[in-house]
Amino acid sequence: MPFDILLALIVGVPVLGSFVLPLAGRIHERLRHSLAFLLVAFSFLAAVRLSSVVFSGQVVRFSASMPFGMDLSFTADGLAVFMALASLLVGLVIVIYSFDYISHYANRNEYDMLVVLFLGSMMGIVFSSNLIFLYIFWEMTAIVSWRLIGFFRGKTDVQRADKAFLVTFGGALVMLIGFLMLYQKTGSFDLGVIKEYFKTQAFPSLALILILFGIFSKSATLPFHTWLADAGVAPSPVTALLHAAVLVKIGVYVFARLFIATFPIGAVWHVILPWVAAVSSIVSAGAALRETDLKRIIAYSTVSQIGFIFFGLSLGVEIAIAGGLLYILMHGMAKAGLFLCAGIIEQGTKTKDISRLGGLFSTMPLTGTAFLFCAASVMGLPPFGGFFSKFLIFLGCVQGGQMGLGFVFLFAALMTILYLLRVFTVVFFGETKIAAREGTPVMVACVLVLAFLSLAAGIWVRYPLDMVQQATTQMIRVIP
Amino acid sequence: MLSLLILIPLAFLLLMNFLTLKGRRMAFAVVMALSFFQIYAVFCPTIMANRPLHGLASVFDFTLAVDGLSRIMLLCIAIVIFIALLVAAPFVKEEDKRFYFAGLMILELMGLNGVVMVRDIFSMYVFWEVAAAASFILIALQKKRDPLEGAFKYLIFSSVATVFVLSAIAIILLISGDTSFAAIREALRVSPHSFLITLAVGIFLAGLFMKAGVMPFHGYLPDAYASAPAPVSILLAGVVTKTLGVYTAMRIVIDLFGFSASLQSILLCIGLISAIFGALAAMGQKDLKRLLAYSSISQVGYIFLGFGCGTPLGIAAAIFHIFNHTVFKSLLFVNAAAVEDRTGSLDMSRMSGLASRMPVTGTTSVLASLSASGVPPLAGFWSKLFIVLALWQCGHYGVAATAVMASLLTLAYMLLFQRSVFFGTLEKGLEGVVEAGFGLTLPAIILAVLIVGIGLFFPYIVHTVIFPVVSY
Repeated sequence: MPFDILLALIVGVPVLGSFVLPLAGRIHERLRHSLAFLLVAFSFLAAVRLSSVVFSGQVVRFSASMPFGMDLSFTADGLAVFMALASLLVGLVIVIYSFDYISHYANRNEYDMLVVLFLGSMMGIVFSSNLIFLYIFWEMTAIVSWRLIGFFRGKTDVQRADKAFLVTFGGALVMLIGFLMLYQKTGSFDLGVIKEYFKTQAFPSLALILILFGIFSKSATLPFHTWLADAGVAPSPVTALLHAAVLVKIGVYVFARLFIATFPIGAVWHVILPWVAAVSSIVSAGAALRETDLKRIIAYSTVSQIGFIFFGLSLGVEIAIAGGLLYILMHGMAKAGLFLCAGIIEQGTKTKDISRLGGLFSTMPLTGTAFLFCAASVMGLPPFGGFFSKFLIFLGCVQGGQMGLGFVFLFAALMTILYLLRVFTVVFFGETKIAAREGTPVMVACVLVLAFLSLAAGIWVRYPLDMVQQATTQMIRVIP
Repeated sequence: MLSLLILIPLAFLLLMNFLTLKGRRMAFAVVMALSFFQIYAVFCPTIMANRPLHGLASVFDFTLAVDGLSRIMLLCIAIVIFIALLVAAPFVKEEDKRFYFAGLMILELMGLNGVVMVRDIFSMYVFWEVAAAASFILIALQKKRDPLEGAFKYLIFSSVATVFVLSAIAIILLISGDTSFAAIREALRVSPHSFLITLAVGIFLAGLFMKAGVMPFHGYLPDAYASAPAPVSILLAGVVTKTLGVYTAMRIVIDLFGFSASLQSILLCIGLISAIFGALAAMGQKDLKRLLAYSSISQVGYIFLGFGCGTPLGIAAAIFHIFNHTVFKSLLFVNAAAVEDRTGSLDMSRMSGLASRMPVTGTTSVLASLSASGVPPLAGFWSKLFIVLALWQCGHYGVAATAVMASLLTLAYMLLFQRSVFFGTLEKGLEGVVEAGFGLTLPAIILAVLIVGIGLFFPYIVHTVIFPVVSY
């Protein structure tokens, strides 16, 4: 199959296929599940196939012409393929986990459709090389997360879902104004054209700020972070999908796509943005230390870790950028694992309040182990994957000569260790308050897979690092 | 052949009275057939070609013409009349009322078609009043207290608008000596900047703003929309105010007066006020139909923003948004009708979680709400994007940015509506609710397909339908 068609299919199959799922669900539950799995698996395998070409240095393009410079065009370069692989891998595990998790709730047909549609739109964002289509897929993820966060339909659930939708939609609208400014300057929404234009021209700071609004609101960076913790009312696989693996990474990815791969930003931003990230990281780590709701702790931890990723990407140092990208993968796997463990604990004990939990290790040894592994990766302990990404970012920080920032983030990393250890000891050790059994085999297998992947990615770090290095080089040096 | 679109409804209106009691039950089918004929006619070049009629029919010949703008309006009118009739069944139950209802719909169809096609300012006024009179009676058809009040308010506002428009026509007649568009254009070309003309334009537009219900001329509109029977609300929100107010304003400005800087700033100003304050007012509503009425005001504001650019792109965007608004607002009113039919109430504080009981209504209402908020990839996104692009190209950056942010307000009240009616847990006492009947789900599905279809195939729609409109 020609690679450009394959590229279009990675996006098209899950997006269009998702609408078949409710119909399949009317025939049989299992048919819908298998179909959902197949759609995501197809995208994943196609991305794997594509990666072999892309990481040999080729760039695959697909495009269809539209009026007003709004061509539907997809581009697969190293950055896009790496991002696609990272999110689809985690997405696939989450889809499998969902089968058991949601088996006893209402609206299951809608759920599967939305999850697959979400992953499809995510692929749309990753591969789009046209700002309008980027925006369209961006909003599609917002619609889907609105429905998914309000999945349980309770009053607070729906209110929080509305909050998340409004915050991200508002940010996206501001971003759209920024895109319009670029359109006015360059006469096109195509990233290639825009890139050419800004090789010789200075990038307008106002547009940069406007676009950052959108990115920060989606990535739940301070001061737009509150929706993320509130969205913890969603089903656990959804929080894993939204908070850990995919949604919040959209902002980070678009940051890399626009401000590293497409147009260079002024030197002053390489100082301002890391500081914004630092404040976001510290404040949310503090919040994570104080919270008693299991999912809110993990959610705040996500905000904090996203700060690390922004820090790496915005330093303007090559090795830190590579670290930031690697962080996306490592954090995605480990954090998804944590959320899914939280889901097992929540379903077993019917509570998310850690002050009412304790001693679960004796009854849930597998979940406990998985939780520990994933937490270790998020903390950045060697030889887990998270260590290498954190290390690269600090290395870049030292190379860039921003020692002050380095210490702030070192402190944030210390806080990460603190709050994760606190959660682990409170929930799994001490006296048993609520007895609970281990989750279903499928769910436990899923968290174990993620825990294993977190460890394996550290031991065989060579492979992801290879991809990241190529992607970074392509972004910074090679002009396609 | 254009006069067919007026003469055939007229003939049916007269002939219907000769039907026997049994035959009168077919009245709805007759009107539906008329709307189908109109949809066919819009796409049929022989009918759209303006050839004069011969023989007896030539007595009724007006100065008629259609361009792309008129065709889109004709299409909107036909779609909305058809949808309104489908919806009408559960709301107009008595046999004789149904007959009157059908007759009034034909009258409305005729009046609106006339407004859209005539190229003579006085005939335009006559048809304008025909359509308005039909709507007064339609609102008050049930002869209950609230509808009568709503109809009365509408009547009073319309009378003031009529006085304005008639005075403006009188002044124009004074200057040009004739009422046909061609003659007026000629006269205006000779003396373009006289005080009288400025006065006429001002008065004329003030009347039309009232008819369009833009802020601050909107006083009657929420009452009229909310108190009218469901099918009539669809008709009013979908085409009546759009044709009598917005279309007429576009027609006289584009064809007769032309854009001037001050006119543009008035239009932009009115548009911005309506778009923002309409949305803010919508947020505070408890009654579902009143919320939709304020949302209508807000969306008309958007249309005026596009129109106020005065550029081809802006006008095309405004027309596109008229069409999209017709589709999504009709759909929302159909959803409201379904809710009213099944729960007997429109009070949003007393319902919740209906989506689980009414899946079709719930799903289609989500699509309509998101389209209204301009969320991609639905139809409303594209027209709003074009409006913003047009504003941006004209250099109205502040207006464009405000228009974009007004979308956030739209989304806010639409989410409020979704949360209190469809999304959420089922309210106690609503367990017995079942999905509305075929007459309410079928139009909802048709309109939802239009929303998604236009959203996905927008390049085709834009190239073949929207842009030819302004290529004259």
